[in-house]
Amino acid sequence: MKKLSLFTICLIVLVGSWVVLRFAIGGIVSVPIPGSVIAMYMGLIIIAILVHISVEDSLFREFLRPIRETLVEDRRQVRRRVIAVLIPLFLLGYTYSIIAQRANPPGSPRDAHPSPPLELTYKDEVIGTMQDVVNPFRHYEKDDPEAFKAHVENGRRVYYQNCFYCHGDHLDGQGHFAPHLQPLPANFQDPGIIPNFQEAFFFWRIAKGGPGLPAAGTPWDSAMPIWENHLTKDEIWDVILFLSEYTGYQFRTFGEAH
Amino acid sequence: MKTYFLASLAILLACYYVGSAFAADSGAGEVEMLVFPDAYSAGSVSNGGTISGVVKFEGDMPEMKVLEITKDQAVCGATEKYDESVVVGEGNALKNTIVYLIDVSKGKDFDKATKLEMDQKGCKFTPHVQIVPVGARLTMLNTDKVNHNVHIFSSINKPVNKQQTKNRRKMPLAGVKKAEGPVSVKCDIHGWMSAWIAYIPHPYFAVTNEKGEFTLEDVPAGTYKLGYWHEACGTNSGSPASVTVEAGGSVTQDFTLKLK
Amino acid sequence: MKNRNVTLLMLVLGIVVGTLRCAVTYAQNAPEASEKGKEVYDQSCAHCHGTEGRGDGSAAENLLPRPRDFTRGLYKIRSTESGQLPTDQDLFDIITIGMPGSSMPGWETSLSADDRWEVVAYIKTFYDGFKAGEAPREISLDGKIPYAEQSVETGKGLYVELGCVECHGNIGRGDGTSAPTLTDEWGFQTWPANLAQSWNFRGGADTEAIFKRFIGGIAGSPMPAFEGDSFLHFGLTVEESKRLTELENKDEMTETEEAESEKFYEKMDAAVNLALNRTEGIELTAAEQQTYDDAMQVVYEKSWHLANYVKSLAPEQRPEPAIGKNVLRSQYVQDALPGMEDPVWETLQARHFPLVGQIVIEPRQFNPTIDSVDVKSFYNDTEVAFLFTWDDRTHTIGDETDETTGKPLEDALAIQFPVKVPQGPTAPKPYFLWGGRLPVYLWHWKASTPEQVTELTAKGINAAEVQEAQGALQAQGVYTDGQYKLWVKRALKTDDKKDLQLDPGVFVPIAFSAWDGANGDVDAKRVVSSWYTFVLEPVPSSRRFVYPPLIAILSLGLLFGLRAAVQRRNSVS
Repeated sequence: MKKLSLFTICLIVLVGSWVVLRFAIGGIVSVPIPGSVIAMYMGLIIIAILVHISVEDSLFREFLRPIRETLVEDRRQVRRRVIAVLIPLFLLGYTYSIIAQRANPPGSPRDAHPSPPLELTYKDEVIGTMQDVVNPFRHYEKDDPEAFKAHVENGRRVYYQNCFYCHGDHLDGQGHFAPHLQPLPANFQDPGIIPNFQEAFFFWRIAKGGPGLPAAGTPWDSAMPIWENHLTKDEIWDVILFLSEYTGYQFRTFGEAH
Repeated sequence: MKTYFLASLAILLACYYVGSAFAADSGAGEVEMLVFPDAYSAGSVSNGGTISGVVKFEGDMPEMKVLEITKDQAVCGATEKYDESVVVGEGNALKNTIVYLIDVSKGKDFDKATKLEMDQKGCKFTPHVQIVPVGARLTMLNTDKVNHNVHIFSSINKPVNKQQTKNRRKMPLAGVKKAEGPVSVKCDIHGWMSAWIAYIPHPYFAVTNEKGEFTLEDVPAGTYKLGYWHEACGTNSGSPASVTVEAGGSVTQDFTLKLK
Repeated sequence: MKNRNVTLLMLVLGIVVGTLRCAVTYAQNAPEASEKGKEVYDQSCAHCHGTEGRGDGSAAENLLPRPRDFTRGLYKIRSTESGQLPTDQDLFDIITIGMPGSSMPGWETSLSADDRWEVVAYIKTFYDGFKAGEAPREISLDGKIPYAEQSVETGKGLYVELGCVECHGNIGRGDGTSAPTLTDEWGFQTWPANLAQSWNFRGGADTEAIFKRFIGGIAGSPMPAFEGDSFLHFGLTVEESKRLTELENKDEMTETEEAESEKFYEKMDAAVNLALNRTEGIELTAAEQQTYDDAMQVVYEKSWHLANYVKSLAPEQRPEPAIGKNVLRSQYVQDALPGMEDPVWETLQARHFPLVGQIVIEPRQFNPTIDSVDVKSFYNDTEVAFLFTWDDRTHTIGDETDETTGKPLEDALAIQFPVKVPQGPTAPKPYFLWGGRLPVYLWHWKASTPEQVTELTAKGINAAEVQEAQGALQAQGVYTDGQYKLWVKRALKTDDKKDLQLDPGVFVPIAFSAWDGANGDVDAKRVVSSWYTFVLEPVPSSRRFVYPPLIAILSLGLLFGLRAAVQRRNSVS
């Protein structure tokens, strides 16, 4: 068997690494690796190859030898002609595909954690400042477990009569209406949701719904109803109790670090 | 471990009772049920008596609602169809009332020669109320050359839901295991079609004719609770009539019913 | 050597045990009912199915199909024969996968397999029929007839013969003439499946699943099972059945034909009698069993053909919604725009817009019957034309009125745009439900006036105004076999300031509302979509014919240059 030239080996290493990254690791072993990450790795590999071939003059010449041979030597004429056709053809197709690419619709940037107003209101009634308001039934958890349970159960009823269509049986944001809504309904099982907010924040989001969001929350897109039009103040507090009871997550309380 | 077992057993039992209690009043919704004896032994009856009578409707004769025929007009809409939940004849005679012995435990056997048929001619069930002995096969007739779908809303027995295609002139239905009813009969294809079937455990049942008449024959001598059931007027299961039949004698018991 | 043998033995044993384990987990039975099952049920199921399993949980009222009542032992999705209880595996699978098109979700990710088995055991306690512990008779899937054109064709004939059309309609869109009056065994309204939307099949859309629904029926619903005692021409061979159909379809039979058919009927009666005996629990002799099995074989065969036909009616999956690469792009044509029936529409792939019940503002629609609307579009230098299609099981044109509002109930579609296209991705859009602070521009079409589209301006779902200037739109709408088709044409530019003005290459927000009058849709009670986008796809730039060849030639020149350089260097050295 003829010994492979340095150029061929480098080419094999390059293509091989790409195949491994793209298909073996990013397909069989784990989820697909983003193109930008692959590009970064490939860049590193190219640098490594360049360093390797340029440490010695002889090595570098050895690397360039096949290129030079292909360009000028008579016995490489067939290869030369094939390359002279393939490279321009590839570039032709590639540039065409870039130029003819269709414009894509604009994305809609959206602030998933919009900032609430300073004051918490229910309809027009001021409840208090956002920072200070606590769930009026939360204290039953310690003081009167029976009463607390009753509130949670009422919250359960409210949830399954109103919320579960979108937020799901399992509070995971996968209700039967959810797949066709943009943005998707909140997933309360996500550990990043409940523990990051005060109950007053949830009250605000429930009471005022999508239209109550500031502009950064794209209030025109959210299908969250203005629940103060349908639910009483107590029902909203109850459903908030239910959310944390069901998921096991605790709401952030005032004074804790963010 | 043991407590778990006992607890699950208790739950199982509780569910069983809740379940069966519900099963008894589900299915036909608001409609009241017939009352059947716990056991019945059939034999020959000699010198039995006869109970007969007339069922009448009290109050203004309700106007029979014309049913809206929504499809297969050529066949189903050829004649006008009426809601048959209350059919009152001359002299306020009330048709389609089941009159029966509630507490009979012994008596004659079913007359096996009786033809059990329910017709769907003109997209209407005839008769509107049919009594079917437990275990007997009821034959559904279809002479219309339209598709029907026989749907019997049993809950104690298994529900029946069978397509009777347009050329299927006769379709016998399997006999049922338990007394039940009356249960609603519908045709899923023709939503207006409605009838009732009672699966009966003994032969002392009668359905009143257009004159409101009923007759129960070969009743062994004794005193019985006589019950009735009507689709729109309900039952007298709470306070049935008491009749005493003498050997070879005949006794009359009339009923006057009003809307529930 | 010995060691090696032992290793090999262990390996083989391991594989055998592993396979056995797989087999065991595949057809598992539920454990004994336990407290754990009740706990999981109460936490995850009771809100719909009720604490006592009666299907009357607090959420039940607004759901259609209603959550199942477990106390009667009637289960829709089974792998068992008609009248039989489901297997434990059936119950487990439904809990795991859920029921598409209903509010029953799959619990695979939210409950552990053990918990799901516990729930199966607990659900069974609601109906004492399970206590007998008898293994239900399962449907055999042997003899499956593979999907082929001929089989589909045979199935198509059976679809009519068996009367499927009565409820499912001529080509399966659930628009049969009996569709509007159907109820389940609990008296709740129920709609026949739209066979063109296989993604909503409750028990899955593979051919085997469809086949099982035929043989087992869908208990509690109006869908009958294909059983021996009721199946068309039970007891006859396929040929005999064909012949009898021929005879039966004659207006009048001759005497010999009469006698011939009579013989068939006798054969059928005998077979039906066996089927009834079997149902009633009378044991069949070996010969009778054989006769029954042979007759049933024909039923199975026909059912496979029918299953293949049903399979042919729908795409494999729900089409991708019109976002990302599937965004709605109106195609440019140089000449006049195609009319509604023009075959050129067939060359475009429709874009799919799923719709959901409007549950934000009263009156709300919790149980939508319209699944989606599909859209195609062409434009030329002056006009744009759209073709909207959507399935609706009923053609309702306002003959009946809504009880609370007194308004006519009728089918309709509204297409919504902003009056002004937002400039840039962060610019505010109007509220997706018919606008708010910012107004929307609407095309409102009603089934009672199919040639007319009204232009509206709205600042809220209950704040729509008919525009003064009308007539900018040409429209044509038809209803056939459970599907509406609406064609609309408008000039790209109008004089009306309240109209949206269209320019090629600009991404325009678009949204939909649809009403099914037969489902009680009126005013805000309707199905809606969120904002999507559409664009008049610009005619591709002619630069695409200039730059690529230029670059190709350049690269060729570069190659030659390189060669020349190397050659020169070689000659120098």
